[in-house]
Amino acid sequence: MKLAMIYSFLKQDLATIEDAVNETIQSNNPVLREASSQLLRAGGKRIRPVFVLLAGKFGDYDIERMKAVAVSLELIHTASLVHDDVIDEAEMRRGEPTIKSKWDNRIAMYTGDYIFARSLENLSTLNNPRAHQVLAETMVELCLGEIEQIRDKYNLDQNLRHYLRRIKRKTAILIATSCRMGAIASNVNKQEEMALFRYGYYVGMSYQIIDDVLDFTASEQELGKPAGSDLLQGNITLPVLYSLEDQDVKTELHELFQKEDPTAEDLSRVINTIKTNGSIERSLAVSDRYLKKAYQALEQLPQNKAKQTLKGIAKYIGKRRT
Amino acid sequence: MTPTEMHIEHLKNKIAAQVRHPFLAKFIADPVIDEDKLAILTSIMDHTTLSSVKKEKYIVTTMLVQIALDTHDLVTLSEDEEEQETVRTRQLTVLAGDYYSGLYYYVLSQLNDIPMIRTLAGAIKEINELKMELYYKDVSSFQEFLGSLKKIESLLIQRVATYVQRTTINDMAGDWLLAKKLLEEKNSYQEGRFSPVMDLLVKRPGSFESGGQLVFNIEQLLQKHISNLETTVSKLPIHFNWLKNYFDSTIYHKFYKTHIVEEG
Repeated sequence: MKLAMIYSFLKQDLATIEDAVNETIQSNNPVLREASSQLLRAGGKRIRPVFVLLAGKFGDYDIERMKAVAVSLELIHTASLVHDDVIDEAEMRRGEPTIKSKWDNRIAMYTGDYIFARSLENLSTLNNPRAHQVLAETMVELCLGEIEQIRDKYNLDQNLRHYLRRIKRKTAILIATSCRMGAIASNVNKQEEMALFRYGYYVGMSYQIIDDVLDFTASEQELGKPAGSDLLQGNITLPVLYSLEDQDVKTELHELFQKEDPTAEDLSRVINTIKTNGSIERSLAVSDRYLKKAYQALEQLPQNKAKQTLKGIAKYIGKRRT
Repeated sequence: MTPTEMHIEHLKNKIAAQVRHPFLAKFIADPVIDEDKLAILTSIMDHTTLSSVKKEKYIVTTMLVQIALDTHDLVTLSEDEEEQETVRTRQLTVLAGDYYSGLYYYVLSQLNDIPMIRTLAGAIKEINELKMELYYKDVSSFQEFLGSLKKIESLLIQRVATYVQRTTINDMAGDWLLAKKLLEEKNSYQEGRFSPVMDLLVKRPGSFESGGQLVFNIEQLLQKHISNLETTVSKLPIHFNWLKNYFDSTIYHKFYKTHIVEEG
């Protein structure tokens, strides 16, 4: 089943949000307008708005309030992607040239900052200080996560705690915040708000671990980039961390990172080691543990269609093995 | 040191502590805290009836936004065959700017001050639109170019001044910040340092003039501009005395003194 089928009952509200996202980034400046629109045209799963809407279903659901939150979260995510492409020197995203490659880094910086500002302006229509506090904390965490990612690159002496904190800040926190802000905007009671937050956090952790596994197990066609790209960029993900327990692998990786231009053969040898030494299975087991916790968080919520959908999404994430 | 100068020093230390991040500090330069903008903001806030906590938070958050915007202006263009260190500096410059923006939002969210969040976000939006105009649109005249540059330099402070309903010095702040920017750019250019505005004027297709001619024209323009500014400053109401003295002293140090030395 496709992911979009799981939350198809939100179709109309998601279309409303899509229109609002497009409207929000309509600048008077033609280049800015084109750059922002190109980004949004390329789409994406809009998974953050989905979580906002689903969380909102546990309270006093009002599409205008939901829209304010969902649009802002999607825009913050989009702004961060534009800046990430400058950081990663990415040429393509979702099959389209990135802003930085179509124009240049400076345009990408201004576009990202513009979208970020529109996101906050948009959220300021919601007179809910707590929503702003939660989002602001999240944004600082996101930046710290990205800074940590650069700090920890090529560092073979990091531990599991480093990795988990990094993916929390990189991925899980924004999903958790999407759930929490949907709950806040629809006045869900505090206990359920926190259950939704935990659900988002655990699902986000599980999702990122699987993503990190797929860097080794999926094909170039499935990934849209060569397998092992994360590793080549020095990102020490969970399968790599487990593999580093073997001193020989550590030496091999150390040598790989020392090479100025590693060959495809160098990389494929390391990838094969990681794929066959049990690290993938151990990583997936950690991902499953997070998913189990996500299901447990849902147990604290009343039975409704949104809860079933959240379960469906967790199940979908768990099955995402290729 | 006067009490105001001490207060500005205190604010400067506070902002520096706020933006300090141990890993960033290792690899990229500490952000520049624009003392003139800090002085103007302090003077604006001094004339409001806001609580001292709010005044301070408004100054700090506005400066954080300025620092974030300035930091992103430093992001270099990608080139082939770059050193790993160059790439890392660029990556961290991107993230540092994002981090400082996040901090402004965080501080104001803790104050529950949604209208000020909106004011600063609105200014960020407009400034980025203006930057796109300046850098990526054919500006038909030098005057138009200067007009856009002036707005970019002063819009943030002017929006904050409007928000706290203290707009007396808005025009003067615009003129002062434009002069200061031109002076900094001209000096950087002459010393062979990174000077995006001068680069833009010299290198863009159908550029206004050659480097040497441009420097000469900017010097002429600055002379006239500063002289007008001095007249405006002298007409400020008496309660802006501290700011008047600050400007007089800054104009002397940054402009006349340099000229006297240069011209022997």
